[in-house]
Amino acid sequence: MNKQGQKRGPWREVWRRLKQNKAAMVGLAIILILVFSAIFADFIAPYGYDDQDLKARLQGPSMQHFLGTDNFGRDILSRIIYGSRVSLQVGFIAVGIAIAVGGTLGAISGYYGKRLDNVIMRLMDVLLAIPGILLAISIVAALGSGLQNVMIAVGIGSIPGYARIVRSSVLTIREQEFIEAARAVGASDFRIITKHIIPNALAPIIVQSTLGVAGAILSAAGLSFIGLGFQPPTPEWGAMLSTGRNFIRDHWHMTAFPGLAIMITIFGLNLLGDGLRDALDPRLKN
Amino acid sequence: MHKYILRRLLLLIPVMLGVAFIVFTMMYFTPGDPAAIMLGEAASEHDVERLREEMGLDRPFIVQFSTYIKNLVVHQDIGRSYQSKKPVVTAILERFPTTLKLAALGVLVAVLLGIPTGIISATKQYSIFDSASMVAALLGVSMPNFWQGLMSIIVFSVWLGWLPSSGFSTPMHMILPALTIGTSSAAIITRMTRSSMLEVIRQDYIRTARAKGQKEFIVITRHALKNALIPVLTVVGLQFGYLLGGAVLTETIFSIPGVGRLMVDAIKQRDFPIVQGGVLFLAITFSFMNLLIDILYAFVDPRIKSQYK
Amino acid sequence: MIKNKKILVLLSLVLVFSLFVVGCGKTEDTPGTDQPADKAPEVRDTLIVGQGADAKILDPHATNDQPSSRVMKQIYETLITQNEQMELEPGLAVSWEKVDDLTFEFKLRQGVKFHNGEEFKASDVKFTLLRAVESPTIGHIVGAIDPESIEIIDDYTIRISTKNPFAPLLAHLAHGASSMLNEKAVAEGGDDYGQNPVGTGPFKLYEWKSGDSIELVRFEDFHGAQPKIERIIMRNIPEGTNRAIELETGAIDIAFDIAPTDVNRIDENKELTLVRDPNLSTAYIGFNAAKKPYDDVRVRQAINYAIDMDSIIEAVYLGIGEPAIGPLGANVWASHRGLTPYGFDVDKAKELMKEAGLEDGFKTTIWTNENQQRMDIAEIVQNQLKAINIETEVKVLEWGSYLDGTAAGEHDMFILGWTTVTGDPDYGLYPLFHSEQYGSAGNRTFWSTPRSDELLTLGRTTADPEKRKEYYMEAQEIIRDEAPWVFTWNGENVSGTRNNVRGFMQHPAGHHKLFTVYFE
Repeated sequence: MNKQGQKRGPWREVWRRLKQNKAAMVGLAIILILVFSAIFADFIAPYGYDDQDLKARLQGPSMQHFLGTDNFGRDILSRIIYGSRVSLQVGFIAVGIAIAVGGTLGAISGYYGKRLDNVIMRLMDVLLAIPGILLAISIVAALGSGLQNVMIAVGIGSIPGYARIVRSSVLTIREQEFIEAARAVGASDFRIITKHIIPNALAPIIVQSTLGVAGAILSAAGLSFIGLGFQPPTPEWGAMLSTGRNFIRDHWHMTAFPGLAIMITIFGLNLLGDGLRDALDPRLKN
Repeated sequence: MHKYILRRLLLLIPVMLGVAFIVFTMMYFTPGDPAAIMLGEAASEHDVERLREEMGLDRPFIVQFSTYIKNLVVHQDIGRSYQSKKPVVTAILERFPTTLKLAALGVLVAVLLGIPTGIISATKQYSIFDSASMVAALLGVSMPNFWQGLMSIIVFSVWLGWLPSSGFSTPMHMILPALTIGTSSAAIITRMTRSSMLEVIRQDYIRTARAKGQKEFIVITRHALKNALIPVLTVVGLQFGYLLGGAVLTETIFSIPGVGRLMVDAIKQRDFPIVQGGVLFLAITFSFMNLLIDILYAFVDPRIKSQYK
Repeated sequence: MIKNKKILVLLSLVLVFSLFVVGCGKTEDTPGTDQPADKAPEVRDTLIVGQGADAKILDPHATNDQPSSRVMKQIYETLITQNEQMELEPGLAVSWEKVDDLTFEFKLRQGVKFHNGEEFKASDVKFTLLRAVESPTIGHIVGAIDPESIEIIDDYTIRISTKNPFAPLLAHLAHGASSMLNEKAVAEGGDDYGQNPVGTGPFKLYEWKSGDSIELVRFEDFHGAQPKIERIIMRNIPEGTNRAIELETGAIDIAFDIAPTDVNRIDENKELTLVRDPNLSTAYIGFNAAKKPYDDVRVRQAINYAIDMDSIIEAVYLGIGEPAIGPLGANVWASHRGLTPYGFDVDKAKELMKEAGLEDGFKTTIWTNENQQRMDIAEIVQNQLKAINIETEVKVLEWGSYLDGTAAGEHDMFILGWTTVTGDPDYGLYPLFHSEQYGSAGNRTFWSTPRSDELLTLGRTTADPEKRKEYYMEAQEIIRDEAPWVFTWNGENVSGTRNNVRGFMQHPAGHHKLFTVYFE
């Protein structure tokens, strides 16, 4: 973004506005803490994520294990910390996939219009018409479980959202003067799309993707909750919660804490997403 | 307007064919042979082959798909379940009322909670009520509903023993599932109502009404609400459509025999006719829902109506 | 103003619609007698049972799954039945005798009515068996029968022959898949027969709420003793925890398959009775012996030594069932109870690995389907095999993919279970260990030896029980020494009942009869 000198100003302004929003800062802090613990999990976590101790099974919270142990005697806190790696990866990469594919399709659709537009948009309608969770389940069933396939499954479902955003920004921008100017000096379509149109569609994409990461994490957790998704002993929060369900009556901590971890993460992303929307679109802020 | 509706309906046809094609293709390439699943851990290859033939699975993809589409278009027949041998339509329709009931209750909870909270928040912007309800709404959106369901079972069924934990037969059985499925929608509706109200309240005609000395209550209910609720209505409709297709997890947690569970079981059992028929059914329901919302939207807001002419 | 009204109209429409939808459901539910929360202290005549899945179809030739069998057990009858001790007893046949090495003659019970009023005759037996043999789903269970040979002597006498000598024939005729059907009912039912079953059993289908419950009502013309209860409602409650909660709150009278985590709670509850009996299931970890390094018996044995099975069973099954010492559970006939367990001995495991030239270990995978206990076992095994330098990746597959992959031999190690429903060692060994059964047919370890093949064939074709027993004993010893499996666990049927439930007995095969149950 910084490559374009005149663009620096607006983004700084956005950051300034964002900083004033306390809720958004709380959200940002939560996300940063998560990223930090994902990166440094090896140093922070008191135990490994697969350190089984069959003699210390199903212990409630204590000084040795702040959040208790699971049915294999593994430390739940450690698994939650390592689990942030999984969830953040799924969230960001799934959204990355969706933006890459959806953005490209949307840009092509909006820029070239006509028949191509029609075909692409009908394809998006098809994806939108299939209930998201069922689509994801079918894709995971087809591809098999595992981190990578979950990312793809969750990502595909959110392609249409980005395609629509990018398409509509392209449509509004396409006819504007500076695009015509670029065309006049002989810029290629590719150049026009990547240099001019995409940066202008960035604001809504950023907002959508912050909330999208939250949605992707939730979907992935939902998938592993119904038993599709990750290979054990991957410490995925939804999978931990799902295992905990079998012990829910005597050992509620196995279910409660991973769920809380999901909730706090999503909460943080939502706070940040709201803040970004307000910061990027000052008209909404009063 | 009629033209517009007709055009939308016609557009549904290629989209539904697309849905059918995508689901069919996906299922075709999904590992796991339906015949092998029906026969279990010890089935001779001979038996598996016989069953595959009986089910028509030995034919090439293109033949299978074109037969499916032909039956669908010409005979309005979408086949029978591999497992239960029931007509797919029957299998879905006997589950649909439950899903519809669950979604309707969820929306009811959402509307009853969301709209009043949103209105009060907007009228008392920056008050403690406003902040509290906004945080609550954000938490509501952030909570995974399967987790909320489990926690509510722990508290209300296990600890307090007030409510049953599974099934969907009596009103008592419906309370926890309805709350579980309605929470995030309630949160979304609260936020939508609030922001929509805030926007309306700033409009000139509200100022005029206030300036004329009308009571605040009248201003809010008579003037502001009517315009503020239009976008909220859209969200309500969208949420309803979403809940119809997205109740899988809630149905799983509370052992509710709805379409979502039917679909998940069918995907796991590779009961392709049910998966195809079910997705098609949900897709059509969802699309009609959207069309209905758009029409209603036009109906309540003449500005939009004129666009369609 | 007009707009305002429209909005109000719309909103109230939405509300009315929701209430209507909800209301509809309610009126639908009330007229039935199915008030699950009904806890009337008077004499109860409706038994409510919770099980973990809905029946798929109530046509014994179209499925072989447990939830369906459990319902069909109340609706249909077989020529011969196996009681709770797995002893053969007269069913629809009052007596039978051996005519020659291949042929049995059955005398049928007279005056038996089907639910549609038709009388049960030899022609129904012939029709049923021919239909069964044709079924790809359960055909293998009656596959030994020669369809050409079925001979109706008179209305109440019939002869059935097998193509080759087949010792366990009678046990197979007691299998639910051999339930007797009525030709007319099947023809009338057509494609929908599975939703409109007609049997001779003490209960007939009244209503099936798909995915929710199946209601059976007493068949007044039943030929045997009338059950004391009038109705049975079998509810589908997939989550073990929910089933236990429903039992505790009295919403159901019997809960099948109590999860290990709920056993103590049910046991300690003064209002409930826990019923535990060994069943016919065996869980095992198998090796793909067609693949390196599992073609080396030392590696298979080393892993046997390296796994601390007792602690696994304690952690996974929480004291339910018992560690398996052989391929057959104790209640299967001719099960070898004298096999020496490998035991947990890491040093010995290391030694064997060294002998096999693999002291540095290797990388491998262990496959399981989504079954919680199997996934748990896989995780612990993965952890324990680190001690002998084997680096294991756990692969959880959906059932369909799992069956495909293991049939094709793509796997390394895998976890699976088997239930010897007939209680006969042939059913428990032949499909799993004979070389003819490689792949989808059941032998997913691709292991066999010429001698074990021979013994298993002899076992099924020899009539003399003493000789059969010898063959099977030797076969089990070979299987133990050759170690194509890590014997894991023999299961238990665990049900919970309310204290006022009487006459409930579990069947080792899992399809418990409910028509003997009554309330105190």
